[in-house]
Amino acid sequence: MGVISLDGLEVRLANRTILNGLTGELQGKAIGLLGPNGAGKSTLINTLLGFHAPSKGTARVFGLDSYRDRGRIREGVGYMPENDSFIGNMSGVRFVRYMAELAGLPPGIALERAHEALFYVGLGEARYRKVSTYSLGMKQLVKLAQALAHGPKLLILDEPSNGLDPMARTRMIQLIKDIRNEGSIRLLISTHLLRDIDETCDEVLILKGGRIAALCNIEEERRSNRSFMELETVGATERFSVSIRGLGCECASYPGGRIKLILPDNIEARDLYVIASEQGVQIRRMNQRRDSLEDIFLRAMDNDMERMGNGRLQAQL
Amino acid sequence: MAVYKHSYSAYSGRVTSAGTRLLVLSRYAFDEAWSSKISIGLLVFCLLPCLASLVGIYLANNPLARALVGSKGSQFLAIDASFFLKILEGQCWLALVLAAWIAPRVITFDLADNALPILLSHPISRFGYVFGKFAALFASLSFVTWIPCLLLFVYEGYTSSTPWIAANLRIAVGMLGGSVIWITLLAFLGLALSSWVKWRVVATGVIFAAVFIPAGIGGIVTAVLRTQWGFLINLPFMITNLWIRLLGAPGPVNPRWTLPTSAIVIMLILACLACVAMLNKRIRAREVVRG
Repeated sequence: MGVISLDGLEVRLANRTILNGLTGELQGKAIGLLGPNGAGKSTLINTLLGFHAPSKGTARVFGLDSYRDRGRIREGVGYMPENDSFIGNMSGVRFVRYMAELAGLPPGIALERAHEALFYVGLGEARYRKVSTYSLGMKQLVKLAQALAHGPKLLILDEPSNGLDPMARTRMIQLIKDIRNEGSIRLLISTHLLRDIDETCDEVLILKGGRIAALCNIEEERRSNRSFMELETVGATERFSVSIRGLGCECASYPGGRIKLILPDNIEARDLYVIASEQGVQIRRMNQRRDSLEDIFLRAMDNDMERMGNGRLQAQL
Repeated sequence: MAVYKHSYSAYSGRVTSAGTRLLVLSRYAFDEAWSSKISIGLLVFCLLPCLASLVGIYLANNPLARALVGSKGSQFLAIDASFFLKILEGQCWLALVLAAWIAPRVITFDLADNALPILLSHPISRFGYVFGKFAALFASLSFVTWIPCLLLFVYEGYTSSTPWIAANLRIAVGMLGGSVIWITLLAFLGLALSSWVKWRVVATGVIFAAVFIPAGIGGIVTAVLRTQWGFLINLPFMITNLWIRLLGAPGPVNPRWTLPTSAIVIMLILACLACVAMLNKRIRAREVVRG
């Protein structure tokens, strides 16, 4: 069973279709939700939390219907919203305790875990200060603490590094990595910052215009492209190209001794050095390029544009 | 998790029931309402008339005091439906003052900092949220309305030389019913208006305005059109009429200054429904922007 299952999910708000026929199974330990502004990321999160009823299709969280079973889903979910959302008049520890009690923890245990959660996120020394006196970064952390205090099965983080300075962002990303590595919590991280997803997630759902533009396992995607290589050589480049083709590589030569190639699984970079040495060719630069999340994202956006273009063309025909 | 380890661990202990979570909301709202010294001061102020009434009941049942006052004071010291109506009226209007102060404290802190998305992402419904806040406000207002009124009633029964309680049970039922209707309306009105106004001081003013401005307009309509139906938007007039009928106290001499009970009840229900509609519109985890 996946963490989140979407089956033809359509959500209409104010007579506008915000999510349109989303279908897919999200199974990663840390799932990234990517998309440009207005793609429907926050609407999908709100639907998963049961704030919006699907107009068609279903969304399931751990097999539970997102709207019908919203009470049970919320028991096991920790939610960190994008915007400011707290009770400024309360101290940090009282706020986190309150949220933990609302999630179902007995008062004594809620207080204990509130202290622990605040220390864990790094607000231990500031836990008796009123939340309204916190800086922006501290407010982000107190939202994370309240989402963690009751020990959720799924942690939903909406733009967790929003408005943070570089140091605070690094700390937030490290916290998210630690939580992911601990293993008992699945993460759903919504952001428009590719770098955040790249550093923390193993699966990504890319939305555009309320539709799924891509749904892929980042690690697998990277593995399938890991052997893409660029070389700059000096010497008998043509002969060298022929030789490495003989190894089974797909290869293309360019002026200036530049060679682009795709290595098969059984060939390592050192094999190229061996051939170069035998033929007296100097390899001045070797760039083994990983397919970055940015490539995946841009490809998804391009595919979506092409699909829309084809659709329009077919309509014209 | 452990404070000294700074590490995360999952929670696998017992969890509380859904009903208990509603009480969590009430408990925190109640704490918030009474965390201010002004709230405590207002409570003491609201109970001063009860103290005076307590002395009045003591004097009315004290033979020496009665002998000192003589026959002229027998009317003054009469403990009957009119006496308790005055107490109920006084306490209920003081409850309005208290509600105008504490209702904004109960709800505006959540709304001012946009806490609803976080609060409602927990396993509580919007109804549960409003119910929790309502219960806290209802309990707070009970301290100055039906609880002291019924205690005075019991004290009168205790000090009276005749079997007084059984003969005047209607007064007790009337005070309880009248108080409950009034504080229910006040709680709804306080929550609904406070939910639409972020600033607490402004919310306090708006609560008073919502009671007295329609009353003034109703009075003008009544005077100009020479009809009693203008009183339908005069909340103080309607509720006083209702209390008179519930306690069985003597009513106004002029029959033009009355409204049918059914009309009063319908208007009070409509007022509560309007407040519920306002809360339904405002208490949401997410606002859907139309257009």
